[in-house]
Amino acid sequence: MVGNKAVAYGAKLARVQVISAYPITPQTTIVQYLAEFIANGEMKAHFIEVESELSAMVAVQGASFAGARVFTATSGPGLFFMHHPMMEGADLPVVMGVVHRSNKSMQPDHTDLMAQRDNGWIQLYCENNQEALDTALMSYKIAEDPRLSTPTVFGIDGYILSYTAEPVEVPDQEMVDEWLPPLKAPWAPDIHLPVQEWKKRQGRMYGSQKAWLEHDTKFRSSLGVIREVNAGFEKTFGRSYGNGLIEEHNCEGADAVITAMGTIASTARVVVDDLRSEGKNVGLIKLKCYRPFPVDEIRGLAKKYHAIGVIDRNISLGGGGNVLNETRSAIYDIAERPKVLGFHTGMSGDEVTPQMIRRIAEKTLKSVSEPVPTAVEWVGGA
Amino acid sequence: MQTLLTTVSTLPEIILIEIRFHGRGGQGAVTASRVLAIAAFLEGHHSQSIPMYGTERRGAPVTAFVRIGEKSRMIRSLVHEPDYVVVLDPLLRNTVNITEGLKPGGTIIINSASPPEEIEFTSEYKVATVDATKVALETIGRPITNTAILGAFAKGTGEVKLESLIEAVKTEMSGRMADTNIKAVEKAYNSTIVGKNRVVKELKKVALPPANSRADWRTFRPIVDPAKCTGCQICWTFCPEHSINMMERKSTIDYIYCKGCGVCAEECPTKAITMVMESEKKEG
Repeated sequence: MVGNKAVAYGAKLARVQVISAYPITPQTTIVQYLAEFIANGEMKAHFIEVESELSAMVAVQGASFAGARVFTATSGPGLFFMHHPMMEGADLPVVMGVVHRSNKSMQPDHTDLMAQRDNGWIQLYCENNQEALDTALMSYKIAEDPRLSTPTVFGIDGYILSYTAEPVEVPDQEMVDEWLPPLKAPWAPDIHLPVQEWKKRQGRMYGSQKAWLEHDTKFRSSLGVIREVNAGFEKTFGRSYGNGLIEEHNCEGADAVITAMGTIASTARVVVDDLRSEGKNVGLIKLKCYRPFPVDEIRGLAKKYHAIGVIDRNISLGGGGNVLNETRSAIYDIAERPKVLGFHTGMSGDEVTPQMIRRIAEKTLKSVSEPVPTAVEWVGGA
Repeated sequence: MQTLLTTVSTLPEIILIEIRFHGRGGQGAVTASRVLAIAAFLEGHHSQSIPMYGTERRGAPVTAFVRIGEKSRMIRSLVHEPDYVVVLDPLLRNTVNITEGLKPGGTIIINSASPPEEIEFTSEYKVATVDATKVALETIGRPITNTAILGAFAKGTGEVKLESLIEAVKTEMSGRMADTNIKAVEKAYNSTIVGKNRVVKELKKVALPPANSRADWRTFRPIVDPAKCTGCQICWTFCPEHSINMMERKSTIDYIYCKGCGVCAEECPTKAITMVMESEKKEG
């Protein structure tokens, strides 16, 4: 099945109660599939038609506030339009699927989702259609964890996954039901409670500087929850994605590693395997969770490898690659720091070939033993 | 499906094969790639079906890709050096370089009424031909050549079994549509000719219609019977390519821009427009 269908199946298996979304290529077919599921009786959910992404987000947040399990999906420009409500609903367990779309073409790069990095939404990135379905399910478990109650968004690369068909195993509904029980929403308005009393019980993170600190501390604690959920998912369904935050592929005894996100990781796996069979000691780190940034994991890498080549399929204009900057920042306090090289590739959905990844991996490996230009390199692209 | 899976051990191991489809919007290249990917999956392989979306519409050249093999070898880029090229339209090779990147000695499956020996390329390939348009018209009733060309792929490459293709068609289609498409797969499988192409120094230059012309997109061309045309302008209103002019209150078709979609013939209230097979009108 195609990636968008896998996402729709994820929402269906999670027994989502309220869906609201506005169509935008390449996300549109996700909600088309969901609308079909509802129309033919396979799925019981309210589908709220809206006139924009902003309304879609507000609609699902309202439903989540009332205690429903909700889903929405969008792409690139639609996601930018959701920015304001995303910033506000930081304690509602809304789950969203984003089909990445660049702001400079309809093809994917991760700049759309990374532009929402400061919102307090957990961000997970997927590399294949199976992972899209599994991550949809895990997102609910993470978002609705009573310790967190934090909105979660997962992304798939538009076109590359959204319309590519490949085998996907759909878990049994019974198993999903057991693993993901119905949402308990203690915050939902209680008609028997005076409004002031109810407001007091909410403990919403709002107010002075302290509110930001509380929010940040709580948000960072989600890293542990994501690891737990990933481990629990493996126990029940037999599949997992690294430790839930990052995955090390063919890294044993490596001198250098490259990091990649989304579909670039799939191509990079093959390249790294080939390089290892040629005797070149380079491994792959797949970064699945970007927010919160898995600082401890990245520090762990810094102690094991002598060079890290960071592939950014995104840019903070005037600032550079987001993953590069955060990687460098995370390891700065370590005395014996590895070299960190930055690369941009696949921007605007430009094709990423194995040859490009090979060049990135070989340059990173070379930097272990000899000086290489440290300027961030843009690989490929017309 | 169960029976197919049990035969996996007898099938040859596939590490990675890559296939590129060339078609026109409406011929079903994307569906062809998906059916083939499913057939390979039914035989126990991992597979990807990758459509390439752009400004596609009926008649415009489109591309799709299939990767079959081990899961650990599945990269995410497009296919640049295919093992096989599948061409759903006989005229496409005049405007698209269908052998680009094809591995030396690779196989071309092409929809053509001619036998492989009459097809010219500048280097030698294995070529399998089938008159997929004819097969599709005889079975499905419309010039949708996707399932027919897959029958030829099974015969010409041996990479997938005919039975797996039939099972795959059943997963993607149902009812009469599945039945007619299965007939198309079988009929094409049985009428495919496998051989080698004629190697020439330079490909014969084909007189191409002017740029932006849609002439080579057509399988059928509309013919107006002036005696029946009442000048009502309904065809003029509906033509998506604006290629109908009203001359002396009769509709006249501009064959440079007409893509042969048949909307005019469908809409004409007096049945003054009939669709005639292109090859009966001109060489192609």
